[in-house]
Amino acid sequence: MTTPTGTSTPSISTPPVPHSVGNVSLSSVAPSRSKELRDGGSSASGTFGVKSGLAQMLKGGVIMDVVNPEQARIAEEAGACAVMALERVPADIRAEGGVARMSDPSMIKEIIEAVTIPVMAKVRIGHFVEAQILQAVGVDYIDESEVLTPADEEHHINKHAFKVPFVCGARNLGEALRRISEGAAFVRTKGEAGTGNVVEAVRHTRDVQSAIRQASVMNEEELYVFAKEIGAPYHLLKETARLKRLPVVNFAAGGIATPADAALMMQLGCDGVFVGSGIFKSGDPAKRAKAIVQAVTHYNNPKILAEISGDLGAAMVGLNIEPDMKGGRLANRGW
Amino acid sequence: MSSASSTLIATVGILALQGAFAEHQTILQRLSIKRRVIVVLVRTAEDLAKCDALIIPGGESTTMAILARSAGLLEPLREFLRTKVVWGTCAGAILLSTSVENAKKGGQELLGGISVKIARNGWGSQVESFEAALEVEGLRDSSRPYTGVFIRAPVVLELTPSPLDPPIEIIARLSPQCLPRSHDLPQADIAAGSDPRTIVALRQGHHLLTTFHPELTDDNRFHEYFIQQCVLPSLA
Repeated sequence: MTTPTGTSTPSISTPPVPHSVGNVSLSSVAPSRSKELRDGGSSASGTFGVKSGLAQMLKGGVIMDVVNPEQARIAEEAGACAVMALERVPADIRAEGGVARMSDPSMIKEIIEAVTIPVMAKVRIGHFVEAQILQAVGVDYIDESEVLTPADEEHHINKHAFKVPFVCGARNLGEALRRISEGAAFVRTKGEAGTGNVVEAVRHTRDVQSAIRQASVMNEEELYVFAKEIGAPYHLLKETARLKRLPVVNFAAGGIATPADAALMMQLGCDGVFVGSGIFKSGDPAKRAKAIVQAVTHYNNPKILAEISGDLGAAMVGLNIEPDMKGGRLANRGW
Repeated sequence: MSSASSTLIATVGILALQGAFAEHQTILQRLSIKRRVIVVLVRTAEDLAKCDALIIPGGESTTMAILARSAGLLEPLREFLRTKVVWGTCAGAILLSTSVENAKKGGQELLGGISVKIARNGWGSQVESFEAALEVEGLRDSSRPYTGVFIRAPVVLELTPSPLDPPIEIIARLSPQCLPRSHDLPQADIAAGSDPRTIVALRQGHHLLTTFHPELTDDNRFHEYFIQQCVLPSLA
């Protein structure tokens, strides 16, 4: 081993890539994190390169929330690039209330057995022992998620300490860069989970993009001040400004319920989408799942979007986002 | 190189249904010979018709096959493979193989084109993903190792060419210490240095297969190799 296991965020060296809302350049990529290995027979696992690399393989895809092996199979047949195993979808967590925790490991193992695509699972914010358990179970990605009840109201998990990669939610650029600094290899801009209402996902994606555009024209002195204002590590902010995008893969999540919602998030510059309650709370999950998968591939082709958006059965019943809504504002969790 | 072939321009498609297609595009656009390459992102049969060669990127092979079917691309892709140059990386390598183990329940569609039997997720879950230094035959500056990034990578189980198929040329092997412990083969094979599981890059006829991800490194040499050794000669 020439590379220590996931101890730091390596420096990045790729040229800037163009990126803008509404006119997304397809060449926009998160940079390579692979380090050159020095001697002939050496190899290294759990590097930041392979952690962020798996996220790069998921790009242009849909990650679907599933609660049992049957749903996982439906998701795989529809073309999901990964599934998120959890006990209750966000809409039910919202409706039923109570403390939401990591899922039963034996249920997660059944889902891993049922499908060949990557399996992700959620842990509570700050609950590093749930993360240790999921790493031992053999999940492919861990989501440190605000959808579950936080276990720590101050600290997130030190994600560098794990071989398994992490995805985290963010509402704005500062939050995204804090998560990356803690070791997240993948970021999802938060929507309001379990609502079927895309408005918060749009708000937060636009916030992140707008802050990146501001940062991209700042000089060094201004970047130091901006880093302080948004609570972001300076070196990651500088890298983001240079790349004109987040330095890791960025999906949209929360409230996506239709193929048009998914294509909207892609046109706003996301690399892919998570769909939670939107599929299995709808009238015809298999058909809707397949349509959302196609919408993410053909997001720039309204003619294909029109074809796949028809005859999907009932969409999930949406909720309006209000301060006193049932289950509260999940997106506000995370520090 | 003759003066005729040094002025050729190749249209290289990248299958852009799902996965790391933008990464391949970025590398092709920064090659020193980029003026000789036009990149097309392929999502429909019309896009494919413009191409002289195709790259099938890493991603999820099941997702790509399902999307290719619904976009009406499966048969056009199989037809393309009969006459033109195709390079598959990771998921692309699975799609190019003629048979697959660990397929999703109910089986999955392949394109075929290279006579190998391959196992998906040969090393297991993401925790087993790794980077390893490779010696690759024919790369520029080939004494400098090339970093292979293996992410839930497939393993070549067997070479299965029939006497009529073009011969298979092995481009790179992995150190046997990096092999997964499953899929145990007879010790005799391993001792002879012919364990097919160590093969991570190979060519057959027009086609190139790599089980790792050259699109995830900053090293352009593999893409350069593909354009100079596979694509441009096929146009000359």
